[in-house]
Amino acid sequence: MELRRYIVRRMIQVIIIFFVILTVLFLLFRWAPGDPVSMMVDPDMTQEDAEILIVQLGLDQPIGVQYFIYLKNFFTGHFGFSFHYGEPVVDIIWNRLPNTILLFTTSIILSAFVGVFLGKIASWHKGKKTDSLMTIGALVTHTLFLPWLALILIWVFGYKFGWFPINGMISEEVWLDPEAGFIAKAIDVMYHMVLPLFTLFLIHFGAYLLIMRSSMLETLKEDYILTARAKGLEEKMIRDHHAAPNAALPVVTSVGLSLAFSINGGALTETVFTWPGIGRELVSSVSQNDYPLALACFLMIAGVVLVSNLVVDVLYAYLDPRIRY
Amino acid sequence: MPGINAKQRRSSCRWVLILACAAMLLTGSPLASTASAANILKMGLLQEPKTLNVWRASDRWSRKVVGLMYQPLYVRDPETLKLIPWLAAEPPQFDEKTLCYTVKIRPAKWSDGAELTSEDVAFTARFINEFKVPRYRSKWNFVKKIETPDKHTVKFYLKEPKAIFVSRSLTTPIVQKKEWTKLAEEARKTKKPLKRLLNEKIKRPVSSGPFVLKEWRQGTFLYLEKNKYFFGTGKKVQGRLLGPYIDGVIFKIFGTSDASILSLKKGSIDMFWWGIQPGYIEDLRANPDIELFQNEKSAIYYMGFNVRKAPFNDVNLRRAIATLVDEDFIIKRILQGYGIRMYSIVPPGNAFWYCPDVPRYGEGLDREARIKKAFGILRDAGYTWEVPPVDGSGKVVNGEGIILPDGKPMEKFTILTPPADYDPHRAMCGMMMQEWLRMLGIPAFSKPMAFGALLQQVKVRHDFDSFILGYGSLSLDPDYLRNFFISTNDKKRGWNMSGYNNPHFDKIANESASAMNRDKRRSLIWEMQKIIIGDVPYIPLYDPKLIEAVRKGRFTGWVQMLGGVGNIWSFCQLKPM
Repeated sequence: MELRRYIVRRMIQVIIIFFVILTVLFLLFRWAPGDPVSMMVDPDMTQEDAEILIVQLGLDQPIGVQYFIYLKNFFTGHFGFSFHYGEPVVDIIWNRLPNTILLFTTSIILSAFVGVFLGKIASWHKGKKTDSLMTIGALVTHTLFLPWLALILIWVFGYKFGWFPINGMISEEVWLDPEAGFIAKAIDVMYHMVLPLFTLFLIHFGAYLLIMRSSMLETLKEDYILTARAKGLEEKMIRDHHAAPNAALPVVTSVGLSLAFSINGGALTETVFTWPGIGRELVSSVSQNDYPLALACFLMIAGVVLVSNLVVDVLYAYLDPRIRY
Repeated sequence: MPGINAKQRRSSCRWVLILACAAMLLTGSPLASTASAANILKMGLLQEPKTLNVWRASDRWSRKVVGLMYQPLYVRDPETLKLIPWLAAEPPQFDEKTLCYTVKIRPAKWSDGAELTSEDVAFTARFINEFKVPRYRSKWNFVKKIETPDKHTVKFYLKEPKAIFVSRSLTTPIVQKKEWTKLAEEARKTKKPLKRLLNEKIKRPVSSGPFVLKEWRQGTFLYLEKNKYFFGTGKKVQGRLLGPYIDGVIFKIFGTSDASILSLKKGSIDMFWWGIQPGYIEDLRANPDIELFQNEKSAIYYMGFNVRKAPFNDVNLRRAIATLVDEDFIIKRILQGYGIRMYSIVPPGNAFWYCPDVPRYGEGLDREARIKKAFGILRDAGYTWEVPPVDGSGKVVNGEGIILPDGKPMEKFTILTPPADYDPHRAMCGMMMQEWLRMLGIPAFSKPMAFGALLQQVKVRHDFDSFILGYGSLSLDPDYLRNFFISTNDKKRGWNMSGYNNPHFDKIANESASAMNRDKRRSLIWEMQKIIIGDVPYIPLYDPKLIEAVRKGRFTGWVQMLGGVGNIWSFCQLKPM
């Protein structure tokens, strides 16, 4: 009963926070200097043309009316039309979202697996060369400037060796070939994913490695590890079957949240690799004052973050009855 | 799996992974070579076109693509820049008495095989006027009546003489009546018909150009194939035998210049359809597979003043500042030599309209001489200094504390520029201007700001001192000169951003707009340039040269003209090697 009340309370909080975000975002965009029409530096666009466009975009309405339309659009799931594409915002998002999820979810899962595996080994060899090498390696790659790393990888593997495509998500050669089937197209996408995936992997695996390492070091101090050793179990068995599963819990939480965040993509990665995802669209829509599209992207991110936090809180509360905020 | 132990399973997984990687590597290279065998031109774009709806296409990327599909009645000859018939069969005939232009249409077809007739042309003009289509409305709203006596003749009756009719109105892209009639009918039923039309997603544009849309994979590439109904195929226009000789054009999208230039060097694209920044030029020049083209642009980058308010309403101050600006330094150091000195608002490449006989402030002077000359202009106009920039012995020193003729000290003023990540050249020009003005004791501060905010402040709120902006693609018709400086455009969102107000200029500008005689119009346009450069509401800074890079060895026949090799003539004449 108490748990149910807690969940209801948290849900109400989430709804209120989301509503505040909804409103603040709207106001921020309207108050920010510049508007979509004044961005058009085209001498063919006369002052009268600009006024006509303002009316068409609904920007001539009082801010209260604009807010009401915005709310109406939100609750009807419509989000309006993009000022620049002239297409429904929902269509644009649905077109880009799968690309972002594909790249970022894959990168998080891959980084987490490798990070956990290497973190386990690093902790097991604490203080030795292997540990130092892995820890330093993780710190270095994790702190690299992503666009720089991406450009270096493009230059080396895309240009110098020519192993991978420099940009994009698909090859026109494959996708325009009427004989290319699903497998050929899937392989083409995977082929294009290699460099962005490798970049994201290099940036992210270090964090998981470090979390896993420190968690493992704590776990290895536990009594049940001592017991396992006393029973004469193999070191590998103790590491992989007794310590690692328990130590991986913080990593699992972190991966769970990262997966939720993967929806917003990465503006830098998507821009450098011309990956047609949400992150690139978000940057473009903000820089061009495309209010409906930018707001929808932000709201989607806000919604996912709030819901995933709620899920994590509820899970914690379910798993640990002592948690009641 | 029964019968397979853990070790074997791991081993087979490893092999599957290795095979998958090998497959990925193998699928890349051979496919690339297959495509290069085809006669398809691959162009790199920095951003994706937003739309293929010709009425909505206001971003340059959409316009590049749409421009290969939708065609106008007249286009510019690449050598003379004169307007020549394209969809039209011959030059327009003008009857001064009735103010009527008669245009003959050449036999042509739409990409769906239907005949292109005078009805399509008339429909386009009526459509623009009825729905008040932005960017085109002002080119057609002076047309009183349109008649189509036969399917190859259109008569346009003007309300008043308009010089821009041929160069601006008759260069409007023509759309198919059949395709747009239905859309127009649907739009009329809505509350906002124009919005409905602008938001129409044109999935299969029916067009009359050399290429038609084959496929658009949004976010990745756009493929135009040869239009088998293109009117020009096999015909000579201006002595040029038109194709297209290539099977199609693929536009690939790149997020950064770095990636697109690497792709060009690698051979993944045949041309990067964007100006090459000076930093890349030497590297590309050294590459034997790359050919560089250098052309002039119809562009102007300039410093503008807010002449609505003191002290910038004083022409002496503006002339003194113009004297201090070292355009040669800007071109040599900031543009690394890839720029043209601007003396007037009309770029010199637009030879017919460009007036060379305008005041040239500070030309040929070194820094000291510039300061002395500017000092003289201001001193004679009643300005004084706490520390004059030229001391009693005639030596140039750092001036301090400039005082206006009314005895008040000059307040700090800002030079607004776009930020360096948007345009490093303009940001750097702002910094240099600040330093040069400070030498004269003028308290100038360069202030880079977000482009949208800058435009809002300058164009909408008129809340600024001075700014550095530019137009990268000016029309070849100089009517913009009138637009930029006529006093009636000094309003919110109007193009007279400086707030320049000169009744004499207004009179000549209005005369130029209705001057139907080209030579008479030229003398008026020259007069306008002289007035503007004399009054300096804008200081022209530079016109950047356009450097474009293409791959050698795949296609030949690039046509160079003002604005670069990415023009309709190149696309119609390129041949596979």
